[in-house]
Amino acid sequence: MRDYYKGYLFILPAFLLLLIILGFPAVAAFLQSFNLMWVATPSFTLGAYKALAFDPEFLTSLMNTVIFVTVVVSSHLVIGLGVALLLNMDLRFKWLWRVVAILPWTMPDVIGGLVWRFMFDTLPGIVNSVLLRTGISVEPIDWLGNPTLAFVSVMLAESWRGYAYPMLILLAGLQAIPRQQYEAAELDGCTAIQKFIYVTLPNLKHMIIIALVLDVIWESRLFGMVYSMTGGGPGYSTQILTLLSYKQYFQFFNVSYGASMAVVLATVLFFISLPYLRMSMRQQL
Amino acid sequence: MLDKLIKCAALTVATATVAGMLATAPVPAKSADVTITYADWQLAQDIWGRSLSEAMAEFEKQNPGIKVTTDPTALSHRDVKFTTAIRGGAGPDVFALDVNPVKQYITNGWVKDLTPFIEAEGGEAFLKDFYPNTLQPVSEDGKFYGIPKNVVAMVLIYNEAMFRDAGIDKAPETWAEYREAAKKLTKATKSGGPVDQWGATLVLAKACFDLRFSVVLRGFGGDFLNSDWNESRLGEPAAKEAFDFVTDIILEDKTMPPGIAQVDCNGARRLLANGKVAMIFGTMWTLPEVNGMNPDLKAWDVLKMAHVPQKTVDDKSIRSTLYQKTLFMNPNTKNPEAAWKLIKFLSEPKQMQRWFDDNNMLSARRSVNETYDPITSSPFAATVTKEIERAAFLPLIPKWPEMLEAFRQNLQSAVAKQKSPEDALADAHKQYQAILARP
Repeated sequence: MRDYYKGYLFILPAFLLLLIILGFPAVAAFLQSFNLMWVATPSFTLGAYKALAFDPEFLTSLMNTVIFVTVVVSSHLVIGLGVALLLNMDLRFKWLWRVVAILPWTMPDVIGGLVWRFMFDTLPGIVNSVLLRTGISVEPIDWLGNPTLAFVSVMLAESWRGYAYPMLILLAGLQAIPRQQYEAAELDGCTAIQKFIYVTLPNLKHMIIIALVLDVIWESRLFGMVYSMTGGGPGYSTQILTLLSYKQYFQFFNVSYGASMAVVLATVLFFISLPYLRMSMRQQL
Repeated sequence: MLDKLIKCAALTVATATVAGMLATAPVPAKSADVTITYADWQLAQDIWGRSLSEAMAEFEKQNPGIKVTTDPTALSHRDVKFTTAIRGGAGPDVFALDVNPVKQYITNGWVKDLTPFIEAEGGEAFLKDFYPNTLQPVSEDGKFYGIPKNVVAMVLIYNEAMFRDAGIDKAPETWAEYREAAKKLTKATKSGGPVDQWGATLVLAKACFDLRFSVVLRGFGGDFLNSDWNESRLGEPAAKEAFDFVTDIILEDKTMPPGIAQVDCNGARRLLANGKVAMIFGTMWTLPEVNGMNPDLKAWDVLKMAHVPQKTVDDKSIRSTLYQKTLFMNPNTKNPEAAWKLIKFLSEPKQMQRWFDDNNMLSARRSVNETYDPITSSPFAATVTKEIERAAFLPLIPKWPEMLEAFRQNLQSAVAKQKSPEDALADAHKQYQAILARP
């Protein structure tokens, strides 16, 4: 029994640290969204939430976020699974390929955004330079000035930068699949595709859900990549919810309104994370 | 015996350790010393940074006992960093701001009331050297919250050599002339090659949009808000004319480089420095910065300044925008006296002369601009000083940053053909009304 309490004592410093670092901003944002903190005259109001419901900019940003997260997470899972399958094969210099595969993920998202911004720059960017030199395009393409192209460019950049995270989860899942199942499938005469569909995918199901949920959360709160690449433009075309919340809070100083957006996003993400939480709880039990 | 040996060895080690610690103990700092922090986005810039660092060294020499730590906060992160730190009871002791967020800082109590310090220096007598309009952004209800450092007005900057090559003999005075000049200057420099030189560029990215677009609106006789800053003027014909003008020269004439939505002030200067465009809107600082980007251009010789074009030559209304850099004190400072000394030092005439010598910046002090020889003999200073008379600040209200961004995003939507220019302007106008109607 004494050891039981001792365990809690050991995790107390980390718990307190987390409480301060994560808990305080969360509580502060919640209180600010109701106009109860860091305002000249605190008074409870639902005004910020009411305004959200009728704000076309918020609704546009919400829709942009949904499209962005859907496309990027889907691409992450497809690319991540493909690369994980390759890295799980008996390749020479396997360690080197693994390092190369996770390199994009090691790049801070702001830096990644700046690099892609320079690549897509209309005049000196490498993308247009290649297209013009090879004759594929006769005039420079305004990648980040055209609303559709800008959105595609941002999603492409984030697909590249973030695929490694689901890839690592899926690679761990692939390595845990018992070899005997593949051997049995081979004895039954299964083709490579059949082995993938009937052995790999069922065994990876839990890992795919974990990767999906965590990546949805990660991408929904993405900020630096989009901010440094387009700043949400042109117009409102790449403005996702985190950018709008940031602008309202830090640039327009509409503290309550900016915080209410963050609270809405956090609430949605909490519900999205429920399958993952249930799965982890079940595993612990 | 073994026990004794161990005890003896332990005692020796302990004695040696204590002796060592005593011998290497740091000498305590002088208790009278204070350290204050100065934050300024221009500390990160090459020429400004050197100039400011030299000034800090001089200040420390003049004020033994006060040490200044510099904090080169990037402009894009400035307000996030300052406001978060100040709310949390920290932040730099002294910091610089442009006028855009000043009213929010004052309203939220993020800057210290400097009135008692100014009173102690002589009140009116202390302030009388500053241009009266430079005190407008820093005062509220009879109190003063900041000390103006530099003030300039936006002007047209053009490459005279490129003008000459295109057969243009003078700077455009009207928007019609500006448009014609831009057409003549846009061309392919290599025979049969793609267009690689454009007449002009505007700034449509967030950084610096305010100063550089407002001149177009004002040059057409329009403005964002009325003189009381409580009504939108975007519904007026002048605003529509300016809006259409910009979308036309970008989309129809194609006299501005592609990718203009991403062009910020640095991008515009780089295009000018590399001879890709012939005209941009800028001011005093443009020359040293362009020169730094491409010394081969010989910016000081080849670049010229002219007033902001207007609709008709005889128009006498406001056509330009004022930029002002002001020094503020953090309300959380533990060393207000030292902080005030630094503010006073950085805004004294001698330092104002330094800002001109090093950075080509005009002073907020009348005496400096009117008596300092290098300023009075500079043709650039003459143009900008004259333009100050026809310039005004952007709205000095807390809601302004939000309104500016609403306008910029709608303009970008029009340039990106997401909305028609009419719809984009109408949307901006509606957003202005909604923001102004909010408590």
